[in-house]
Amino acid sequence: MTALVSVRGVHRRFGSGPSTVHALRGVSFDVEAGSMVALVGRSGSGKTTLLNVVGGLDRPDEGSVVVDGDEVTGLGEDGLSRLRREKVSYVFQTFGLIPVLSAAENVGAPLRLARTPAADREKRVALLLELVGLSGHAAQRPGEMSGGQQQRVAIARALAASPRLLIADEPTGQLDAETGRSVMALLRAVVESEGVTALVSTHDPVMMALADRVIRISDGQVDA
Amino acid sequence: MRIAAITGLHGASIRGRARADAGPLLLSALVVVLVSLLAGAVPGLMERTADEAVRDGVRRGGDAAKVIVSARFEPDDTLNGRARVPRLAQALDDLRLRAVDELGTDLQRMFRPPVASVISPSLKVTDGSVLRTFRMAYLSGGAGPEVVWSAGSAPAASGDETAEIDWYGPPWLVQVGVSETAAKQFGVRPGALLKLADERGNTRSAQVSGIFRAVDPADPVWAEAPWLLNPAAGADGIGTTRFGGLLSAESLPDARLAFPPDELKRTVSFAPDPAVLTWATAQSLKATVVTLQARSASSSTYDTASTWNTGLDSVLDEVTAQVETARVQASVLLAAIVAGAVLVLLLAADLLVRRRSPALVLARQRGASLTALGLELLAESAVLALAAAGAGCAAAILTTGGVAAGWVAPVLVTAVAAVPAYGILTAAAATRDRRSPANRSARRWARHTAVLRRAAAEATVVLAAGAAIVALHQRGLGSGLPVLAPTLAVLAGAVLLVRLLPPLTGLALRWAVRSRRPLAVFGTAQASAASGRALPVAALVTSVALATFALVTAATVERGLAGGAQETVGADVRVDLTEDTAASADETARRIAAAPGVTGVLTGHVTDSAQIVVDGKLTPARLMIVDSRAYTGTALQPDQALVRSATGALREGMTVEILQTGKPAVRLTASGSAPAIGGSAEVVIVDVAAGLPDPPNTLWVTGPGAVQATDGLTVVSRAELARSRRAAPLVSGLIWLTWAAAAFLLVAGLLGFALTAAAGAPARWLTVSRLRTLGLTPRQGRLVAAGELLPAAAAAAAGGTALGALVAAVTTGPLGLRLLTGQVGDPATALPWAGLAAVAALFLVTAPLLVRAEAALRRRQRLAEVLRVGGPA
Ligand SMILES: Nc1ncnc2c1ncn2[C@@H]1O[C@H](COP(=O)(O)OP(=O)(O)OP(=O)(O)O)[C@@H](O)[C@H]1O
Ligand SMILES: [Mg+2]
Repeated sequence: MTALVSVRGVHRRFGSGPSTVHALRGVSFDVEAGSMVALVGRSGSGKTTLLNVVGGLDRPDEGSVVVDGDEVTGLGEDGLSRLRREKVSYVFQTFGLIPVLSAAENVGAPLRLARTPAADREKRVALLLELVGLSGHAAQRPGEMSGGQQQRVAIARALAASPRLLIADEPTGQLDAETGRSVMALLRAVVESEGVTALVSTHDPVMMALADRVIRISDGQVDA
Repeated sequence: MRIAAITGLHGASIRGRARADAGPLLLSALVVVLVSLLAGAVPGLMERTADEAVRDGVRRGGDAAKVIVSARFEPDDTLNGRARVPRLAQALDDLRLRAVDELGTDLQRMFRPPVASVISPSLKVTDGSVLRTFRMAYLSGGAGPEVVWSAGSAPAASGDETAEIDWYGPPWLVQVGVSETAAKQFGVRPGALLKLADERGNTRSAQVSGIFRAVDPADPVWAEAPWLLNPAAGADGIGTTRFGGLLSAESLPDARLAFPPDELKRTVSFAPDPAVLTWATAQSLKATVVTLQARSASSSTYDTASTWNTGLDSVLDEVTAQVETARVQASVLLAAIVAGAVLVLLLAADLLVRRRSPALVLARQRGASLTALGLELLAESAVLALAAAGAGCAAAILTTGGVAAGWVAPVLVTAVAAVPAYGILTAAAATRDRRSPANRSARRWARHTAVLRRAAAEATVVLAAGAAIVALHQRGLGSGLPVLAPTLAVLAGAVLLVRLLPPLTGLALRWAVRSRRPLAVFGTAQASAASGRALPVAALVTSVALATFALVTAATVERGLAGGAQETVGADVRVDLTEDTAASADETARRIAAAPGVTGVLTGHVTDSAQIVVDGKLTPARLMIVDSRAYTGTALQPDQALVRSATGALREGMTVEILQTGKPAVRLTASGSAPAIGGSAEVVIVDVAAGLPDPPNTLWVTGPGAVQATDGLTVVSRAELARSRRAAPLVSGLIWLTWAAAAFLLVAGLLGFALTAAAGAPARWLTVSRLRTLGLTPRQGRLVAAGELLPAAAAAAAGGTALGALVAAVTTGPLGLRLLTGQVGDPATALPWAGLAAVAALFLVTAPLLVRAEAALRRRQRLAEVLRVGGPA
């Protein structure tokens, strides 16, 4: 198997002078295509920072990140936009849905950006909503749904444009344990069915159990 | 510190927060300063312009503004005739002293030194073919009038100092002096006998004793009888010239004997001195004059008691009406300014409380009472608002000496109370049980009451606006509800627009969802979400509409001034020919017509107060004898006339009788209405073919070279007249205020837009960031952000300008702008298209500019940071 993601010697510092926070100190690892990797570590260890750098939402001070052959760290804004449109999608702890759009429109948004024909788009949205078990909630807005439902919409949206890599930062962080577990199971299932690669940060032991591989990070470094 | 202990007020935290929110706080302060300065300045400005207007009115009032005291002389009848009373000049002087005494020292200061006079009735000169009338006058005032006798000598007594005459004796001879101009014009020399006759044909005779020249023709004394110096045309009838003879103290008793008993009266005239008159003194002057007039009227008409007469009270009434109208017009603009200011302050408070809401909610959760939170916010806003209002009012007092507490109050109250009120509401809402009632009917009930409450508020505004407009149209512009009519109408329109916007953006969204352009969906979705926020849209639409209202009013006044000048002048330039230039009128007309840049010259004869009889009533009107086809475009038959009447005295279809001296009256039919020309209440236009004597005394010149071509002649230029009217104190003051209101409201609109944008910015850019995680480029992100600002911008640009123009069109009539423009009727609403387009463009362009600025402020922020701080959706 080949590595879809390859992280090499990544450093990320915040602030300057004596108050500098060295959030990532030379992180290197690979993620194989089609696998689901759990990123675990204590609060403040640098999980979010690492995921942001991998997904191109943030830039490292040193080191390189390659996703599916694209050198993420070398891309400009437009290159990054294309990367997000075509290869990487995100699921956030805070769901990150567009409040003024319905569940279906939220899920369809990446397809619109990819200029998928309307008929195909609608079919795919219906399929994904069914996949996440929200067929009956297509017209609802995020504000009218529970946290678990919102996160499931977010997962459906992340899968819409058939990305290569799905990055999820504590997707169950805002959910109660039961809901969290069902979302986790859903994530695991869609990774299988859609054939995407997933990099998921979590505190949850259940998630770790579901993952193909667990990367532990502490104080900005990957534990051996 | 005791206060802090009791209320939980924390000085340091107030200061710290104030520093963090310096922008909106300073902006609110600035708005308060500006409004208190503007609103404060207006009463002072109005007071000053009112003073100016009184002076102006009195100056224009001329003779009508004078206070005239008249009295008979002591009777001179004897057993079988009349006796010559030698000391008549003394008796006149007695009257003057008595009048001055009655007037009182306080009021005396407001008048120029009085002029005493005895003026005879008009007599006809019976020799020669030219129609001439002749009067005799004795004048005395101050030192004058001083004259130099260039030939002959001053009039002397014509006979025995104490003669007695028989009732039926021959006419008594009077000696008079004649001015050099009159002597030349009529060819009389000292010693000449003037053959005169009164209305009934009784002969009178006067002998020219000498020819005089006035030492100072500008001496106000001469103003009592200007025809003594220069023979005047017209006023006694068409084609007549009146001149006069000067009496001396010695010949005055002879003059009295030359006329039937009591035809010569003593008169003392007081001309108000514009230099010392003010609005306030004019009011007390009016009161006194009215009392004196009323008291004298009750005394017997058969004694020598003095009679007081004056048009000063009506002159002052007219000025008062003008000043009152101007005051109310200013109030209309102030109401608009205050409304704009209050809305901007509400938006600023909204932004401030949004920014502070996390801190407020936290404080509340930690157990701070709502009272304590409210007091803390109140302390801050009160200090700021009071300081700002103080500064603005102080500046107003320094510059104009006045301040309008009534107008500043609503703005001040808003500035003080809005932030604490919003703050308390926010804090209370955050800690109230968030869940909606479990019971479904209770939930529906809650929703219904909210909907009903809003509908009731909107209905109130719309009804108030309707009532105000009806009141304005029925009662005209007066204080109270009508003053608020334009502002309320705009508010009502804004409320309706706010209602209209969500369905419109909803429609747009439904269309966009079907479109293939991803940005259309996201942008319209943002727009649709933003259009639901009522206050920002209402505020923006209101400011722009009120600014448009002010712009349209200013344009209407400007165009009305031009129209008014056209009405008065009738062409680019009107040449008023004098006695000596009238003879060569045709020649002059040809010369002017040949000059470069002159496109047309018309000649005509204008009589200012011609004696016209309609319906058996004498109706003085301006009579214009012209080539009707060239002047009005319609050729009149010789027996036709065009009429125009402000009072309704002249109407189409009436028979108009024009009286002439020494000739039968001419009867004409009013066949149509005269164009609004002449600037006079009553106008009659007659064709030259009507056969009225029409030596041209007026030329109307049109063309760009008209002013140059008429250089050296006595002219009234339309442009010059419009300029001078525009410079009149009330007019220029109001035009200034109109522009200031327009500018302020535009700035308020732009500030409101910026505040609205700032209030929505965090949520907007969070959404944009989220869209960017889906692959939107930064540029596309900015377009989506602009989409959110578009409904407000479009509502302001299209709805605001249209609403403002509509309200202006509905209200300009009753605003009484004709008092400013000098037109006979109300000016038509003028729409300054270029200006309105500029206003619309300004707001449409501001939306992308604001987005660019917001994007620039966030340029250094990475997506990761935005998403990290963004809370749950
Ligand atoms: N924008 C920033 N500015 C300064 N410091 C930051 C910033 N972002 C993260 N940090 C710091 O970097 C370190 C790593 O933060 P990060 O959010 O990646 O931790 P985490 O593992 O995701 O924690 P958690 O499990 O609580 O989400 C922390 O010490 C944090 O304070
Ligand atoms: Mg984290």
